[in-house]
Amino acid sequence: MIPAFDTAAGWIQETLLLPMLFSLGLIQWEDISFGWALFAVYGAAQVVVTFAVCVPLERWRPVERWPDAQAVVVDVLYTFVSRVGLLPLITYVLFFKLQVELSGALTDMGYVPPTLERIFPFLFGMPVLTFLLYAIILDFGEYWRHRLSHVFRWWYSLHALHHAQRQMTFWSDDRNHLLDDIIGFAWFTCIALLIGVPPMQFPLLVLLLRLIESLSHANARVSYGWLGERLLVSPRFHRAHHGVTAAGEISVNYGAVLPWWDMIFRTADFSREFVQTGDPTAEEELATGGYFTQQWVGAKRMLRDIFSSTPRGAG
Amino acid sequence: MVTKDRSGLDGMTRRGALALGAAALLPRSAGAQAGAQAGGGAVLIMNSGAASLSVIDMATRRETRRIPVLREPHHWALTPDHKELLIGDSSGNELQVLDPRTFAVTRRMPISNPYHLQFSGDGKFFVVAGLARNQIDIYEAGSYKLLKRFPIKSMPSHMDFLPDSSVVFVTLQGTGRIAAIDLRRLEILWDEPCGNAPAGLLVHAGRVLAGNMGGDDVAVLDAKTGKTLRRIRTGKGAHTLFWAPDRKTIWVNNRLDQQSVVVLDAATLDPVRRYRLPGGPDDLEFAPDGNIWFTMRFVHKVAVMDPRSGDFTTIDVGRSPHGIFLNPRAIATA
Repeated sequence: MIPAFDTAAGWIQETLLLPMLFSLGLIQWEDISFGWALFAVYGAAQVVVTFAVCVPLERWRPVERWPDAQAVVVDVLYTFVSRVGLLPLITYVLFFKLQVELSGALTDMGYVPPTLERIFPFLFGMPVLTFLLYAIILDFGEYWRHRLSHVFRWWYSLHALHHAQRQMTFWSDDRNHLLDDIIGFAWFTCIALLIGVPPMQFPLLVLLLRLIESLSHANARVSYGWLGERLLVSPRFHRAHHGVTAAGEISVNYGAVLPWWDMIFRTADFSREFVQTGDPTAEEELATGGYFTQQWVGAKRMLRDIFSSTPRGAG
Repeated sequence: MVTKDRSGLDGMTRRGALALGAAALLPRSAGAQAGAQAGGGAVLIMNSGAASLSVIDMATRRETRRIPVLREPHHWALTPDHKELLIGDSSGNELQVLDPRTFAVTRRMPISNPYHLQFSGDGKFFVVAGLARNQIDIYEAGSYKLLKRFPIKSMPSHMDFLPDSSVVFVTLQGTGRIAAIDLRRLEILWDEPCGNAPAGLLVHAGRVLAGNMGGDDVAVLDAKTGKTLRRIRTGKGAHTLFWAPDRKTIWVNNRLDQQSVVVLDAATLDPVRRYRLPGGPDDLEFAPDGNIWFTMRFVHKVAVMDPRSGDFTTIDVGRSPHGIFLNPRAIATA
């Protein structure tokens, strides 16, 4: 499978990207264009796989049936903007540049840039194991980012857009305020830089984690069983986090991919069944508005909270 | 996996080859040995997108092992005593040091952004072009003590030296220029335009030749002044340039459209032969048996071409193979 992705990325680089870069006078970037191509191939494959897995599941065992799914349409837009559009390419280029600058500067100062392989030399030459370890560390970081986004009121005002959806489907994973996405990207990138994630693995890690996150948002009555639910975040487990009684400051099940962190930090709740989703405190526009309305209302809400004298009480 | 391909020879340019005389055109030993069985030795490929080095047995043409590196290996440099082979891991910020005969990894050295690297001919300087960090670093060879860093705009790519090792020339891919640095005084002599996105560079008879990847030509500059004297059209995406072992021809790889290898007569700099070589030919090395080994960036393979016929076979390697080193070179000179 991996060689097929490489071949596809090589073809895109050779037949589409390089002629385009050449005609735009940007051919000097050809060296990293393979990374862009690979990112796009994995992004497209991820949407296809998510679609192929989640649509049958949602049709087979839906938690809820809605007379119309108008509110889902905007989530589809969020997904394409986030995964196949320009954002993944910018993510890759930015990360590549930051990684080179940071590690080069550290080398100049006499420090060896941090990498897992340097800390644990037995990992050298074991890319699959290293990749999995990177994924675990990044998921740990995601747990805390997500948990903190529920703690700080101004941050939750942005994150409320994600929770406002009453018609939660696998498309809802990318339903985020742009500022929330930027904070998330900065957080994820900083951790990736600190542990020395290779640029070529960065997009793959993002995509792998997001694939599992998409599945966890599916409108599907799916549980992984007692043990499975404790190994990987399931739709049932994550739905509890999106429940109307869990939105806001005090919630449960913050884990994105692994429920381990919730278990360790005592925020796991395996008891809730397939609950109704949404945030009753959120403005209606955040639930049913269009893309730009949602962005505007989310920003207004954040500003109001920043300048409000009320200390706490989000959600 | 080894795959055989049809002839890559462009018939139109065969006439040029005949005019020049095929024996003079072919690499040093090709006339006598082409077609002979491949000899011993091994090839090292720098898989820039796979964080690894592929070792290929030259006789069987099979990959025998894969050596992990930290991040992104691109180019190599052989120490002046030929005892160490340095592989530059650009985003890994380190040099991986190998025994050039066995390819055993002997040590690793942290160094900032080593993209392209070479020792000066007199063995006194070790120069590193940091493409991603816009810097050219001059080190003392042997001690690897940094003598001077030249922050420079932008994307310093490939380099070559004057025969007396007094000056190093570096292409600046981002700004379409070439910089000449005086190694004795450690100062920039000139920084002149040469075209669009220059990559490979070669010094030849008081002139500097650079492949303009953003154009379709090799620019010829005066080594003293940096003034462009001539442009030789080779093909879209002109990229790297290499001397044939007999130094009678210069081989230019073109990366775009009609991906090809163009042979220049070193005396006149006129194109005399063209080979079709799809797959993004990048670096090349001449084998003692007369064949030429190419890294093929876009298809993740290495091509082995018989320059008499243009026929080539390919061998699968890792992602985005870039630098290539044939160890008979080290064995022969040890």
